[in-house]
Amino acid sequence: MKLSFSNRVATILTLGAITSLSHAQNGLRDIPDTAVEAQLNAFKLIEGAKINLFASEPAVANPTHMNWDQRGRLWVVSSPLYPHIQPGQEEQDKIVILEDTNGDGVADKHTDFATNLHIPTAVLPGDGGVYVANSVEVLFLRDTDGDDVADERKVVLSGFGTEDTHHLLHTFRWGPEGMIWMNQSIYIHTHLETPYGVRRLLGGGMWHFRPETRRAEVFMKGLVNSWGHVFDEWGQSFMTDGAGGQGINYVFPRSVFLSSPGASRILPGLNPGQPKHCGVEALTGRHVPDTLRGALAAPDFRGSRINLFQLTDKGSAYTSTQIADLVSSTHGAFRPIDVKMGPDGAVYIADWYNPIIQHGEVDFRDPRRDHAHGRIWRITFDGKELVKAPDLVKASEADLIQHSNAPEGWTREAATVELRARQPEAVQAALESARAPAGVDPDLFALRKVWTSQALHRFDAAGAAALLSSSNHKARAAALRAIYYDAATNPEALALAEKAIADPHPQVRLWGVSVLAQLSSPDTVKIALGALEGIELDEFLDFALWSICREHADRWTAAAQTGNPFANTTQLLFAVRALNQAVAVPQILSALGSGELPSDAQVTGVADWISKVGSAADLNALFEFALTEGAKPAHQTTILQALANAGSLRKLKPAGDTARLSRFLQSPDLATFTSAASLAGLWKLESAREGLRAAFLNAPTDEAKGRAALEGLIALGGPPTATMLDEIAKNAQSDYLLRSLAVIGRTKMDPNEGAKLAVAVLTEAPQGKDLHGIFDAFLANKQGPVALSNALSGATLPQAIALAGVQKASSAATKPEALVAALQKAGTIKPMKMALTPAEMEAMMKQVATLGDPHAGEVIYRRAALQCVVCHAIGGAGGVIGPDMVSIGASAPVDYLIESLLEPSKKIKEGYHTTLVTLKNGDSFAGAIAREDTNELVVRDAIGKENRIPKTEIASNQISPVSLMPPGLTAQLREDEFIHLVRFLSELGKDGDFKTPSNRFIRHWQTLMPHPSTRDRIGHYGTKIFTEAVSDYSWAPVYATVAGAVPVGELPEIEGRGKNRLGVARTFIEVKNAGPVKLRITGKLADLDLFHGDTEIAMPDGAETEITLDVKEPGRQKLTFAGLKGYGIEGVTVEVLDDASRADLVELNNF
Amino acid sequence: MKSPSFITVLSGLLTFGGILSAQEPTAPLLQSGDRIVLVGNTLFERARLFGQIETTLQIATGPEVKGITLRNLGWSGDSVFGDSRSYFGPPSEGRDRLARNLGETTPSVVLISYGTEAAMSVDQGWTEDAAHAAATAAGIEASRDVFLAGYEALIELVRKTSGESLREIVLISPPPLENLGAPLPDQTENNRRLAIFRDGIRDLAKKNSLRFVDLFAQMGGDSFKGEVAKPALTEDGVHYSEAGHAIVARELAKGLGYSEGSLIDRNLPAYEELKAAVIEKDRFFFHRWRPANETYLFLFRKHEQGQNAKEIPMFDPLIVAEEKKIEEARTRVFAGMTRN
Repeated sequence: MKLSFSNRVATILTLGAITSLSHAQNGLRDIPDTAVEAQLNAFKLIEGAKINLFASEPAVANPTHMNWDQRGRLWVVSSPLYPHIQPGQEEQDKIVILEDTNGDGVADKHTDFATNLHIPTAVLPGDGGVYVANSVEVLFLRDTDGDDVADERKVVLSGFGTEDTHHLLHTFRWGPEGMIWMNQSIYIHTHLETPYGVRRLLGGGMWHFRPETRRAEVFMKGLVNSWGHVFDEWGQSFMTDGAGGQGINYVFPRSVFLSSPGASRILPGLNPGQPKHCGVEALTGRHVPDTLRGALAAPDFRGSRINLFQLTDKGSAYTSTQIADLVSSTHGAFRPIDVKMGPDGAVYIADWYNPIIQHGEVDFRDPRRDHAHGRIWRITFDGKELVKAPDLVKASEADLIQHSNAPEGWTREAATVELRARQPEAVQAALESARAPAGVDPDLFALRKVWTSQALHRFDAAGAAALLSSSNHKARAAALRAIYYDAATNPEALALAEKAIADPHPQVRLWGVSVLAQLSSPDTVKIALGALEGIELDEFLDFALWSICREHADRWTAAAQTGNPFANTTQLLFAVRALNQAVAVPQILSALGSGELPSDAQVTGVADWISKVGSAADLNALFEFALTEGAKPAHQTTILQALANAGSLRKLKPAGDTARLSRFLQSPDLATFTSAASLAGLWKLESAREGLRAAFLNAPTDEAKGRAALEGLIALGGPPTATMLDEIAKNAQSDYLLRSLAVIGRTKMDPNEGAKLAVAVLTEAPQGKDLHGIFDAFLANKQGPVALSNALSGATLPQAIALAGVQKASSAATKPEALVAALQKAGTIKPMKMALTPAEMEAMMKQVATLGDPHAGEVIYRRAALQCVVCHAIGGAGGVIGPDMVSIGASAPVDYLIESLLEPSKKIKEGYHTTLVTLKNGDSFAGAIAREDTNELVVRDAIGKENRIPKTEIASNQISPVSLMPPGLTAQLREDEFIHLVRFLSELGKDGDFKTPSNRFIRHWQTLMPHPSTRDRIGHYGTKIFTEAVSDYSWAPVYATVAGAVPVGELPEIEGRGKNRLGVARTFIEVKNAGPVKLRITGKLADLDLFHGDTEIAMPDGAETEITLDVKEPGRQKLTFAGLKGYGIEGVTVEVLDDASRADLVELNNF
Repeated sequence: MKSPSFITVLSGLLTFGGILSAQEPTAPLLQSGDRIVLVGNTLFERARLFGQIETTLQIATGPEVKGITLRNLGWSGDSVFGDSRSYFGPPSEGRDRLARNLGETTPSVVLISYGTEAAMSVDQGWTEDAAHAAATAAGIEASRDVFLAGYEALIELVRKTSGESLREIVLISPPPLENLGAPLPDQTENNRRLAIFRDGIRDLAKKNSLRFVDLFAQMGGDSFKGEVAKPALTEDGVHYSEAGHAIVARELAKGLGYSEGSLIDRNLPAYEELKAAVIEKDRFFFHRWRPANETYLFLFRKHEQGQNAKEIPMFDPLIVAEEKKIEEARTRVFAGMTRN
């Protein structure tokens, strides 16, 4: 007999009192061995690398950040106080200077420079002292008497938020132009009074600060934990995120990313689905192996490893490809949180050293939080000479300028910082006579001279302008970035930006737009929109243009009232859509009518925009366009959808004869019919009622159309709809789907009436399943839960359907406790507590450690019934509703995992809180806020659907304490299965089989669902039939395992010849240019058929092969395989061996 | 390490309500047992690091007045609309928070200082308050009018939420800005704007029958002609250094009705002990009223760490203990005693 695990828990709990788990998180029982050797033995290094300990406790404990001074000494801040000061505790966090005086790669001297800090999170030597982030302030500490102990302390900036101590101001770095760059994270709200006015940054983002002028400005906004920032050789900025999980992010002025409060548009990172990172550094210089030079090293502190990424140009931005890990460790306390190249050309790693990384999830006072250990590691490479660091302090100005052109990034940066300390006149004289060192790109040399002039605050504007004529687009873009900071006072800036807008390279255009955004000229937008001409617009350049159209709206909207201030209608359409206001509507509509905006994208653009901002007359013009003789069906569909949005979101309909809609109700196209049905209701077209009724009654044959018709009937409303639905729901002879839909429809009209019908229909639910979403209809209405619980009073329900209701109600953001109680009573369900006592928890953790099998657990995790994959990704493969699980095992203790499976609402990951939006009409939406603008809020719900909500309709908007993850998902598991599942989760990200490899395995697939025609057709045509575009083939998403394989055994069985059963899957890759693309295939190849498009690729025998696709047409390539089940094929992996500049992987949502 | 250098600025203050020639006669502000609460922006927030304002007032009141305590609610970058205090919500939530803090600190006397943030951000905007943001970026007159309307509402909020102990509200004009020479910006224009804001604050005080301290005038703002400050009292033209804060404190005390004198030997160890206790008390109070990690302790993630919120009131006895030290050190100062 299968004894469900939940029953067992329930039994235990009836015996004993339930104790809160919050003080009993004992998941991490095995505190890792703190010995240095234990860590040394646990490292796995990239080929040819060695690692040694540079420094450790007691000199350093819990380092949070580090930077070098010009003398080659490493300054480290550390915070045993983290995460929160205790009453009576001294503010004793410190800065230590570590010094390797004999050059053996080990620090032999350490000096406590300051010992009176409060959770310092950044340190940056320079200007004769050191800048420190000290919670609410940036301090400048100085030693005035040469004993390396600070005796002067000044506040340089104050007003940084402290709402969360792992979000505090952090990640200080000198820019090549001599400014300090600094970041803050999601919960921080900062208010600075600068000599130039108040500057506020509410949420995450990055600042630049010039100490000598005290100018602090926001550069970009967003990212969850923006814990890394690095400049490439050309001065472009790349950031990493400790919680966002999109790998490397390309940032530029005014760019906005994930989590920025109130953002109506955000940009993606370059590696969606990648681990989360703290810190980032470019590997530079002669000691680094040629293959790694230029790579970005980003510490994955959860997974105890350092990832490497290679960047290649793509449009105005880049692609980023993950390559092998620099280092990884099986030691659970190795927490690399910063990485910096050292003066000797080696790679230095700050290891925060802590078995617990969590902030919110683990009690501040948890005894397992380590407050005593900390390590600095050093990685060197075999066969490569170390670099001898120059003596920068003694070097002449001329020599320093040569050093600022060194191959090593460390030397360049330190030379720049040293030059800041010299007499500006002397440096300027040296700059004028400097010659490029041998082997240095003349453009780079010229750019570095410009940067040095900025570092002295004597900007060489002419030098920057000259660089704009370089043949290298990177030099041109960098010159514009140099101009950007003080563009407002540079008389040449406008002309230079105008030139950049016509540049052949999109990145130069992007920087041209960025410079324009700094200027006060009335023509900035007019000039900027020239960037639309003659090239393909990509997302980043599009964003920059969108941003300036909005920021400088007051410079062009007056002229757009009557005419077109821009060069053409396409530019005007771009601007008005960016602004999202009713500006230039007549001009745009007239252009639409005269065929000036012919493309599908333009028509969609006009329709979407008019639906948001247009008047009733404008909507009518749009409607007329759809009704025009010869209008393209795709355009008609688009316009009807837009009119439906205007009707539902803005209660607005065309000022004209709406009855003309009827012709679209005959459409065989589902999208067209759906919009038309919705419009018939919104426009109250009684004449449409009969047709809608017929389509609704036909729902058992065509459910989608039937549901669409129901929406129309509800909107049409009135007694006829109510009576019809009542009759269907009450008629026990009706089809069950129809009855369910009738209850749902009636509930949407009036929850109390719906509730009266619901009990009888739910009682007859087949297999006790709520197949059609009756419970959801009640939960989506403010009065719904109460209405249903009233109706259930005194009634009984079969236990299974009542349980299904309890499960749905328990994860509803509204916490409908009365409904849960009513369902429990009606279904005679005993209240089931899913909490464990400390003793039970301890016993279970022991079992996870001793009996849990992670391989069995992965199979359970992937089961469709558990739905894990629907919401959670592992390394980007899976749903996006919940957090990515890629390194959950390496970061979360076992008790946390168990607790989160049983009680999902107990601890909710930041960024995954449910927002509950209740409308004035009683409808409610729960989910994550996807984006918002002044008019509407978009909420992404638990099934990933985006709901657009007009802000004027919102009655309340609050953060719910309930997780979107339903409780009891694991209730169907046996105890042994539950233990395997926990073990699997606990292994994710740890070194071993469940650390997502960096290989470019194709992880997003679709699998063919069984189809009646396959058996016959395969007999005639072979497995090639799976490459054909058969319209009623149905493909379901499937993701690769952690190891990168598609498990053929898990795929639905497709009937082949005789008793043959096949698993069929397909995927896509995007190839840039014609030519060969290399793939590596593993699996039992003899049982595998593989197709590129419709061309079969011959498979050898064996378990692994490399093949070359001959790509004739660049663009999307389809790969399809059919694996013969039952003969040991197991998993199939397909790995793309070329990098992202050659072939991009395609995610399921873009299939 | 160097021994801490004493800043030799406080020239001693008398308590007998002496009248300075340039000022109108003013009765001394403070009485025994008074609780002073500071409400303002960066000027007050940073005052906690130097301890000068409270130390000066503690001595200025003289030995007869006892048991003065001070709570500093200064917040960098704050505006009369409560911008900096709002955390995740709109500025109105910042005002709610200030109201709560005033209720908790039970002031007898509230000293308010705003204006720098607004005068310096004319044409750029200085509040996120949706109803006023646009006006704050629309020129000096509009900006000043919005400022004064917000200020008046703030006075009303202080009156309503401070409890029955409230006896006086004092409006304090911001001190002037300084020119420190290139590459720092010239603040002549901003000082001119600041004078306009000062005039408005003075009229507002008069209209509401409140005391007004013209720090701007007392510290030379009206005679400023764009000259480079020598010696500089600010770090960056805006924010007063430790030495500058000593002058601010002295001028503030004067404006509150206390006159200069020479009774106190500032080199007394007791004086430094008093200042040290003030700074330590302010440090504890900072962790008490503006703790880090509020998201987890009190806000929308309190289900994760709310159990640790119990630690925050545990700063109260530490504050009381420092206040005892303040009172003892103060007594020794007046007695001209040293610890040994």
